[in-house]
Amino acid sequence: MIFKQISDMINTGLVVLDEDLKVQFWNRWMALHSGIEPETITGQDLFSFFPNLNRPNFLRNCRTVFAFGNFAFFSQKLHRHLFPFRPTFSYQERFDYMQQSCTMGPIRDDDGNIQYIFLSVNDVTEVVNYEEQLVELNRKDPLTEVYNRRYFEQKLQEEFSRSRRHKRPLSLLMIDLDHFKRINDQHGHQVGDQALKAFAARLLARIRKTDILARYGGEEFAILLPETSGPSALILANDLRCITSEEHWRCSDVDLQMTISIGIAEEHAEMPNHEALLKKADEALYEAKAGRNRAILYD
Amino acid sequence: MAAEDMAFSAMEKDILQELMNIGFGQAAADLAQVIDLAIELSVPDIQLFKACELHEHIATEVDSDREVSIVEQYFLGKFKGIALLVFPAKAGKQLVSLFGLQNSPSRPSSHFDQLEKEAMVEVGNILIGACVGKITELLQDVVIYSPPRVMIEDVRRSSLPKNLFAPDSMAISMKTVFHFEQQEISGQLFLIANQESIAWLKSALHSFLEQYE
Repeated sequence: MIFKQISDMINTGLVVLDEDLKVQFWNRWMALHSGIEPETITGQDLFSFFPNLNRPNFLRNCRTVFAFGNFAFFSQKLHRHLFPFRPTFSYQERFDYMQQSCTMGPIRDDDGNIQYIFLSVNDVTEVVNYEEQLVELNRKDPLTEVYNRRYFEQKLQEEFSRSRRHKRPLSLLMIDLDHFKRINDQHGHQVGDQALKAFAARLLARIRKTDILARYGGEEFAILLPETSGPSALILANDLRCITSEEHWRCSDVDLQMTISIGIAEEHAEMPNHEALLKKADEALYEAKAGRNRAILYD
Repeated sequence: MAAEDMAFSAMEKDILQELMNIGFGQAAADLAQVIDLAIELSVPDIQLFKACELHEHIATEVDSDREVSIVEQYFLGKFKGIALLVFPAKAGKQLVSLFGLQNSPSRPSSHFDQLEKEAMVEVGNILIGACVGKITELLQDVVIYSPPRVMIEDVRRSSLPKNLFAPDSMAISMKTVFHFEQQEISGQLFLIANQESIAWLKSALHSFLEQYE
């Protein structure tokens, strides 16, 4: 009686299957989340209710647990879920399905023979939600909400090797807001911060989803452009330059004029590594800054 | 318990060797039947060493100075310790195709690294479960397992836990080389048990022998 109550009260799904993978036990947690009552599913083929489980990987694990008494783990990282349940309401916006971490193991009779296997199902949606938020926080610049330098450098390295491997073009823009110090000095840091935010948002609106925009330093931004040649990157850079200089920026009731300098470099077979690409873009930026409001492609 | 009590007599070592031959033989036969995988498991090699030398032990035994993939799983019963399944780093791709995961429709993320991890976790669950399961079954113990973890690393700079066992205690390592015939994948399986388990193992071995006396 105690165990029956525990299995119905516990905040974990419990399922017991026999060797034909017919359901022998279905606890209340499973009933509440699936909408399938124990009376309906007991004695029935699990796959007739959950055809998504009828796949080689799941079957293989069932067979080995029966044969060896080992445990099989279906982690959230690899499987997301086994049972397609709705997430509890507070997570419905973010997740289509409840994120689950599931374990399968043997149940033996008194002689030690494996008669059944159990499946335990844990709802890990909340943990996954926090984890995703942490990952996001770790990647983003808190002020402008574009990527931060650390993530950018990681992507630069990845995209550089990808471009090498597939022999596809890759370009990099290094962008610096001209005389930004003056905005801070004249109008205060709050206006300066607003300007950075507005500027980052404007850049983001202009580039593709696959491009990586990051705040590289104080008023320095970087954009990684996969599948883009140097000349195409130069066209984009000049476009961004015009957008910036022509926009009427208004931050905290202050009207601002802003211009940018851009250094551009394209991945080249002679570059030893991703740092070389960054260095070339930086050199081009240095040259562009000598005149301000210019975009220069390193060649 | 004094360290000399930990030493295995020649006979005890022979029994353990024999027991593992039986266990791994059954495991291989069952694997072929249950999951259609032809696998060869070599005659196990048993060694006792100081627990604090675990890293050195693995590094010498693995015989690779390159990157390897390691599936690590703890098992807990009277027989307790850690199982390590060591593959060459490139084996992941072969395992994916061995398990037919590459065209699995249920995969939300078809990212290949994920698939490789999944294949390793699965092979770890199965192989470790089969080998540990058979040995403990013969010795009449039942163990539970922690979720396996996949690590890709350089054997010499291993991130294996350093404080797994008390530093001055002994550990026992049972190593087998496995080989999947369909895919030409080989690797090594280490079952490493701590000092407490050694004491239990010795007495369980004697009980095992009594069945035949």
